[in-house]
Amino acid sequence: MPEASTAASGEAPARLAMTGITKSFGGVAALRDVDFVLRAGEIHGLVGENGAGKSTLMKIIAGVHTQYDGRMALDGREVHFRSTRDALAAGIGMVHQELSVVPDLTVAENVYLGQQPTRGGVVDWRAMFEGAREHLASLGIDVDPKARMGALAIGLQQLIELARVLFSGARIVILDEPTSALSPPEVQRLFEVLRGVRASGRSIVFISHFLDDVLAVSDTVTVFRNGRCIVSEAAAGVDKAWVIERMIGRGHEELEESYTGNIKLDSKASAPVVLALRELSAGRAFEGVSLDIRAGEVLGVYGFMGCGQIELARTLFGKLRPRGGTMSIEGRLVRLRSTAAARRAGIAFVPESRRSMLFYREPVYKNVSIAVLGHIARLWLRPSVERDIARRHAETLSIRPPTVDTLLQSLSGGNQQKVALAKWLTWPPKVLVLSEPTRGMDVGAKDDVVGIVRGLRDRGLAVVVMSTEPETVLSLADRIVVMKKGRIVREFADESISKDRLLEAA
Amino acid sequence: MPAFLRSQMRNIAPFVTLIALLVFFGVASPSFATFDNAANILTQISVAGVIAVGLTFVILCAEIDLSVASVANATGILVAYFTLQENYVNIANVPLPGVLAIVLALVACAFLGLVNAVGMTAIGIPSFIMTLAMMQIGAGMSALLVRGQIAYAVPAAVATLGAGRIGPIPWIVVVLAMFLLAGHVVLTYTRFGRYVYMVGGNREAAEYSGVNVKLVLGAVMVISALCSGVAGMLGVAHFGSAQQNEFDGYLLDAIAAVVVGGTSLFGGRGGIGNTIIGLLILGVLNNGLDHVEIDSFLKILIRGLILLAALIINVYVQAVRESERDGSP
Repeated sequence: MPEASTAASGEAPARLAMTGITKSFGGVAALRDVDFVLRAGEIHGLVGENGAGKSTLMKIIAGVHTQYDGRMALDGREVHFRSTRDALAAGIGMVHQELSVVPDLTVAENVYLGQQPTRGGVVDWRAMFEGAREHLASLGIDVDPKARMGALAIGLQQLIELARVLFSGARIVILDEPTSALSPPEVQRLFEVLRGVRASGRSIVFISHFLDDVLAVSDTVTVFRNGRCIVSEAAAGVDKAWVIERMIGRGHEELEESYTGNIKLDSKASAPVVLALRELSAGRAFEGVSLDIRAGEVLGVYGFMGCGQIELARTLFGKLRPRGGTMSIEGRLVRLRSTAAARRAGIAFVPESRRSMLFYREPVYKNVSIAVLGHIARLWLRPSVERDIARRHAETLSIRPPTVDTLLQSLSGGNQQKVALAKWLTWPPKVLVLSEPTRGMDVGAKDDVVGIVRGLRDRGLAVVVMSTEPETVLSLADRIVVMKKGRIVREFADESISKDRLLEAA
Repeated sequence: MPAFLRSQMRNIAPFVTLIALLVFFGVASPSFATFDNAANILTQISVAGVIAVGLTFVILCAEIDLSVASVANATGILVAYFTLQENYVNIANVPLPGVLAIVLALVACAFLGLVNAVGMTAIGIPSFIMTLAMMQIGAGMSALLVRGQIAYAVPAAVATLGAGRIGPIPWIVVVLAMFLLAGHVVLTYTRFGRYVYMVGGNREAAEYSGVNVKLVLGAVMVISALCSGVAGMLGVAHFGSAQQNEFDGYLLDAIAAVVVGGTSLFGGRGGIGNTIIGLLILGVLNNGLDHVEIDSFLKILIRGLILLAALIINVYVQAVRESERDGSP
């Protein structure tokens, strides 16, 4: 629709205008002097790396963050939302990546969630089903309003949630990663619905890592980097490479290593295969994953949130059962029935959330020994041996404080992460699977973790690093595969790679 | 509140409660603070105590077993069922040698625990519901075995342990002490005991550390059923009869003992030490209220209020802990 897109980038009035927005969390600036304009009847693509400030800005618009500097005007009238309820009342709605539909209710009940039509204090079911059908049809969504929500495909559920947000009176809809779980036809259907919404004069903010999708549907694209709004351009005039360049920044303004240059991958194609996956699949999460994980090599698995890598990691550790395909360790076929079986087979796993790995109210030494108690003790515990082992790790990993009777909850995040790693170091496994090993750590702790992982690799372990942050994968991996919507779409081995090529592949 | 006191609140509050009750009843009634009465109290808590040992394992894993009293009842009746009864007892029973009767009864209660375990871990039924069903199953087995009649005879070994004495000390108290000691040793000094605490402390983390969580949960359910079974046999000997609904009050007593003692309902905190204090509080309260002039109907209300107070402390301590953790870096 070329008419709409010219109208949006030019003459259409500003529905939402934000000027000089600054927001910091505990002294760290998340947004610095950001100007942002959303016009009536436009689809506005918002892109940037994790932590660039997109979500923070949207949370201010949606009334989640109420403390900020700067001004916000809705239809020319200055507003400052004190709560999400304020924002909703002003006509701002949000569809999150994790849908908030109620799977056990009907489609109609979901559309009317919280505002069912009643007659004499009783829900008027007929009016509700009719109303839902009409409303969904007006958006071009053809679905039985009596169907149970949970029985529908994810793409359809998402459209219905969008319909609910619009139905509740939203004039501005913020979509967070709407295409991450959708198949190509579902993406096309979503785009059609969005164009229909645009035609009715409402505005859409489209946040996504999938740059092709953003460029395909948006009228305007705005790029964020390090809390700043870098550029806003008509989407028609730019391409993916242009966007990536502005997302990463060529100027090296930041002191932190930004991996914009080339990194030479040192893959060990001749090393023996420790873990082999063949056509592994698990429901909707991922399918057809075939990988060889080699001794003495760090394999990086990169992909956006929701690409299936979290489920893949859990499957490798026996927490999820694969629906199809095979896993073999050192040539022997294995079927992991539990995490205990995975541990016995020689696989270790550190999940992305420390909370699901550590015992906060227990001393450090019990946290370290839990994974290897079987080696130390048949029946009777030997606390002195446990403490010795923990002390050794505390020393080699420079865990602070080094006293192993300290309760884990009093350690800093980086030190907690080292304890989570230390669990598996006493009797090293054959395969170590790490999910987001450096997320949320400061530079020093990150370097420590990188050093530990490289040390393990040099001792002959096969390491798999799963991450949604390109820096993490680039700093650790000897070989990189890119996952996209549950499939491996690209492998980088024995070649030079840079962050923009990695982003391009995803 | 100083950090140390706050961190020990779970253990201090029950202890202070116990001392306060002892002082109160000691002053209020001259017949309370005597050696004979102390032995009485210990005897009175014995059956609930043996059940509470097993239940401590279950609650440390943040699960619950509502079938304990009913499994105890069924096991007690079963051991009587396999024993030769007097002629006037009108039960179609199957007399067996004493040892065999005891073994069969233990196997039966372990099997009931195993059914709980399979229901929870393999099928995924929440323990609350699973053991509620088992409570009914146990009651049904009891009813079918005695059909409204009462059996009296139990194997000689059971009779001795449940109703006999060595010197001034009842055997049943000795058995309780042995169960408490064994429970404490297993929980504190064995690998399995550590797994119980870790599974209760953070089940997900235990699983991601390669602990076989389902095996641990299954094992605690079997342990709980075995303890209940032993308590059931002892109880039948202690009361001198085996009949339906004989143990109904012990479900609440056993849960109350564990929780009043300070073992966290959310798992991972507490232990046999807490259960001992909880048992003594309950025993002193029940016994002491009989020694003072008080409306016997009011007794029930007072017990309820004490239990409520203990629950408030139990949950409050947990809430303080959670907020401390969230506040830390």
